Amino acid sequence: MTAPAVETRSTPASVRMPGVASTAIRDALSEPQTPATVLGSTSHAVWLFADGDVIVASTRDATRLPNGVEIAADAAEDVFRSVRHGAPATVGLGQVLFEGLTIDVVRWWDPRPALRSTSATQLAEAIVDLPATVPDLVSQPLSAALSAGSATAILVAAESLIGRGPGLTPEGDDYLAGALAAIRALGDALGRTDTAPMLDSIADPLTQLARSRTTTFSAALIDHAVGGRVAAPAASLMRALTGRGDIADSYEDLAHVGHTSGPALAAGMILGARSLLQSQPHFNGGKR
Amino acid sequence: MISRVEIHPGRYHDSVRLMQASKALQGVEGVSDALVAMATELNLSLLADMGFDMDTVIGIGPNDLLLAIHAENEDAIAAAHGALEAALTPKITRSGGIEAPDAKTIGTAAKIIGANVALLSVPGEHAFVEAMEALQDGLHVMIFSDNVPISQEITLKKYGLEHGLLVMGPDCGTTIVNGLGLGFANAVQPGSVSMVGASGTGIQEMCALLDDAGVGIKHALGTGSHDLSEDVGASSTLQALDALDADPGTELIIVVSKPPATPVAEKVRRVAAKCATPVVVTFMGETTLEEGAGEVLGMLGLPRPTYQSWEAENRDHRPGSVRGLFSGGTLRSEARHVAGPILGEIGTREQDDGHTFIDYGDDEYTQGRAHPMIDQTVRVERLAAAGHDESVGVVLMDVVLGFGANADPAAELAPIVEQVVGAGAAVVVSLCGTKGDPQGRDAQAGMLNQAGASVYLSNAAAAIEAARLATTGSSS
Amino acid sequence: MSDLSQLLDTEPVVTTAGTDMLAASIEEQGTAVERADWRPPHEGTEEALNVLFSDDLMRDANEVAIGRMLAVRPQLAGVKVARDVFPDMTDRTFLHAGPPLEWERASGPMRGAIIGAMVYEGLADDPDDAAIKAARGDIELSPCHHHGAVGPMAGVTSPSMPVAVVTDAAGEGVSYSTLNEGLGKVLRYGAFGPEAIDRLHWMDEVLGPVLSAVLENRGPIDLQSLVAQALQMGDDGHNRNRAVTSLFLREIAGSLIEGADAPLDQRRTVFDFIDGNDHFMLNLVMAAGKLGSDAASGVRASSLVTVMARNGTDFGIRLSGTGDEWFIAPAPPVDGLYLGSFTEEDASPDIGDSTITETVGLGGLAMAAAPAIVGFVGGTAAGAVRRTLAMYEITMSEHPMYQIPMLEFRGTPVGIDATRVVRTGVLPQINTGVAGKVPGTGMVGAGLVEAPIECFVQGINALAATLQ
Repeated sequence: MTAPAVETRSTPASVRMPGVASTAIRDALSEPQTPATVLGSTSHAVWLFADGDVIVASTRDATRLPNGVEIAADAAEDVFRSVRHGAPATVGLGQVLFEGLTIDVVRWWDPRPALRSTSATQLAEAIVDLPATVPDLVSQPLSAALSAGSATAILVAAESLIGRGPGLTPEGDDYLAGALAAIRALGDALGRTDTAPMLDSIADPLTQLARSRTTTFSAALIDHAVGGRVAAPAASLMRALTGRGDIADSYEDLAHVGHTSGPALAAGMILGARSLLQSQPHFNGGKR
Repeated sequence: MISRVEIHPGRYHDSVRLMQASKALQGVEGVSDALVAMATELNLSLLADMGFDMDTVIGIGPNDLLLAIHAENEDAIAAAHGALEAALTPKITRSGGIEAPDAKTIGTAAKIIGANVALLSVPGEHAFVEAMEALQDGLHVMIFSDNVPISQEITLKKYGLEHGLLVMGPDCGTTIVNGLGLGFANAVQPGSVSMVGASGTGIQEMCALLDDAGVGIKHALGTGSHDLSEDVGASSTLQALDALDADPGTELIIVVSKPPATPVAEKVRRVAAKCATPVVVTFMGETTLEEGAGEVLGMLGLPRPTYQSWEAENRDHRPGSVRGLFSGGTLRSEARHVAGPILGEIGTREQDDGHTFIDYGDDEYTQGRAHPMIDQTVRVERLAAAGHDESVGVVLMDVVLGFGANADPAAELAPIVEQVVGAGAAVVVSLCGTKGDPQGRDAQAGMLNQAGASVYLSNAAAAIEAARLATTGSSS
Repeated sequence: MSDLSQLLDTEPVVTTAGTDMLAASIEEQGTAVERADWRPPHEGTEEALNVLFSDDLMRDANEVAIGRMLAVRPQLAGVKVARDVFPDMTDRTFLHAGPPLEWERASGPMRGAIIGAMVYEGLADDPDDAAIKAARGDIELSPCHHHGAVGPMAGVTSPSMPVAVVTDAAGEGVSYSTLNEGLGKVLRYGAFGPEAIDRLHWMDEVLGPVLSAVLENRGPIDLQSLVAQALQMGDDGHNRNRAVTSLFLREIAGSLIEGADAPLDQRRTVFDFIDGNDHFMLNLVMAAGKLGSDAASGVRASSLVTVMARNGTDFGIRLSGTGDEWFIAPAPPVDGLYLGSFTEEDASPDIGDSTITETVGLGGLAMAAAPAIVGFVGGTAAGAVRRTLAMYEITMSEHPMYQIPMLEFRGTPVGIDATRVVRTGVLPQINTGVAGKVPGTGMVGAGLVEAPIECFVQGINALAATLQ
């Protein structure tokens, strides 16, 4: 296959490298090549906007995101050094191209954690020592809406959280994303039949809301979270909460992602887990 | 509130580092105030100002490290100790501009990257020490090397079992964990079917057959060609089976092996029957890989596909026996199993008369050479020889694709296939690979087919076709 | 049984040894891999390694042994006279560096030092007389290491010499060394002229008693703490001791000025002597090393190297698990820089117990701490760092107190593991002085040398034999 001509002013020779991608972006990557734009970059990652999708190319020592393509280099190798904001890119036919770099996707991972089935009692035990709040955020409306399992109330609460806080992924977004992802994945692990349909029903309006109120990148992550697709450390915490791995270690790992993202995501996940327990039939809410 | 003053005599750190350590301690939850410093006059007076009991520090001097903490409880003190050690323990980095020498042992290399798996292909007589060190360091081990004494294999597997570590091999050709292939492995889609097998090519063929039917693979754990021997007793196979049963990402397990010793086969079946996860046992000799794959598809509620083949245009050929030139031991076993009833006696040594199916991956043919999946020299030579041998009517050979294998096997084989077909023999190829394999499976098939070979994705189908051709004399 | 979740819940992070193809295949899959630059173990060690790696015995033993080596808290407790501290020492006993040695096989500098010490002790009228008496067996030679002692270069210790007494603040051990004479025409380099002999007399008459009084006045001096600080000031603890000697002077200054019971002119000459001798602390650092080395000795199955020592003829090592047994090979020549008009033609093979510093994570192993040394022993600052980095491959631990600023304060590589030496072929790096081969010459240069592999091959086989 031949790649369409890419503007290569500053980087004459194209460097090719194999990459590993999330199955969440398999469709976007498999389709015919479409033009994209570089939204931003650091030594760890390059954010691309491609026809409504956000795709993140990252080094192996960066956090693996649900919309990520990972390469084997680490940030110290500085392969993204000459990537400019706004530069043209191309995505499709199994490749991601930007600024003289071509990543060939050779392998896939699934960003939905495979969880052991668990019980309300076990889950309550697992989260008992973990903090579920973020100091700057008003969590009560979301907490109440989630416990009630009300799609409308969740959307109202989401409106007050999305876009709140600084950064590429505002704290409020991460908090909401964590809660929704936890409800999707842990709801399944608890054998709940009500959670998935409820989340499916809010997916579209939530995506609309997010796109109008927060960064493109953050909106994409919220979209993935509703579908239960999460960053690797969040998947690891959910595995630990369901009996695979050390809870404290994976909580720490997640809490150390980014400046505010990790702690907010973690707190959101714990909130999601608690509200699942509160709405669990025949369960006393984990009070001991 | 607890106040604690500790002296670490003679433990020296520079003051900047100690200041950073003090800061780290002050940030520990439950610690209200902390001082880490060399016990100089100045620092001792600071200590007094902070309200610590000065009786405890009598007789100490500037060469002693002082640790003073005000904290809510013992837990906070313990946490502070942890923070202190963390702050004073240097991080291992590749230092400023000076390249560290390459790691010389698995242990050192593992520390650099934070490895959890050691992949060894050192000569068999040296594998034990490296493997044992890796296990002692808490790494799972895959031993690609063969010729490791069985007593050493038993020692390693016993150690692994006791320490919750998996020993894959010796003579383990293939393992896939969460999509990453070690050794010879095919590109697979993520999924929820896992397998465990004492046979590398068995795993590869099973992956290829399932991938072609749209089934994703979670893990494929190789355990080495001797694991199902009576001496080893399926140690790693049973350990892996147990682990896959407990793996939440695995919904169905396949056991793949050449025919094992009977008591071992029974043991594996017993454990398989106890698994909460459904297990399909595919022992070659009892069944075929295609049969096993079919059973899996049935359990998943998927239809059995007709595996693709690329038939040779002209299938006229001279009469004669079938010469099987294999690179995969399990593929050879399976071919022999399905072709046997049609052909009768099939020899497994080159000096045998009549039909012969030879495994060129066997030690005998790999002394001082890479495996035939990488280095095709011996097979190319034998293929050419078969063309000149008037007693050969049909050549059956496998071509294994995937990571680790020869980058373009068809390019090397096609011209020879053309000669052989030109000389009047038929060539049937069993092509083991997935659509995602780096060699480009369909392009490889096309190239071999173009040269006059019939190419089959199913190894069993290829073997049956070769046998049929030989017995019917010529195709219809 | 195990659930192997640590393996199955993430993608493997892989390290490889052997054919590069398997590592390349992982990279082809978009994944990083770390290769070990593996090579077969040294010939003749395969069977022994298989025995030593057959279970956790050696690993556990090594943990115990290195733990003991690092747990000692050496302190300079006093200065006494040799004949008073070595119970087996007669008036005819001369301790020497390295493994056991007879006069017949002794090198030039070793003979020179013995001759000098005999003249100093009054056992001979002149050097010729001493040589005749030594040759006919009038004296007894015995390695310092057999007496809990160490000595630099020839290491000759005779009954009247003052010795430093180093005790363990955290244990019961005691070790000894002579006091350093300075550089140039000195006994330890094989010089026996009047200059050397006169200095020895001054040392037992003035230096020893004054230091003894100083220590009595101020109490023991924590040696490890001084070395730890000195490593951050550019010392390596073997060939550069400028910082640690300065620190030592600061430690004793108060007592030297007004605490020690000695005449002012003696105190003044002691100050000037130490001030003028950058290597004064070498012997004390060595004794401190010997304390750790002895503490770590005798742990069954441990492959920890507890001693490396040379006598100018042989290079010998000891392993913890084989106790007092020596494993010996010819002492190698030193790759060095030479003083004045001396050349390698004038050099004696490697000599001295000072390799005890390398045994405990100093000297050549800590070279990255001492960029200033590279001019002295040849090479570049970057090369010094590389040498230290290479040593982590063959050591068991990183020193908790001895840190290297250049390496982000990483601890020095410490605890040479003989199995790793024979597996990797990486040899312990030694910084050393070079003595002239003609008796009486003294120091001719300094340089680098590697411990001979044969010692480690023998040691590994003997260690394996103890377990069978």
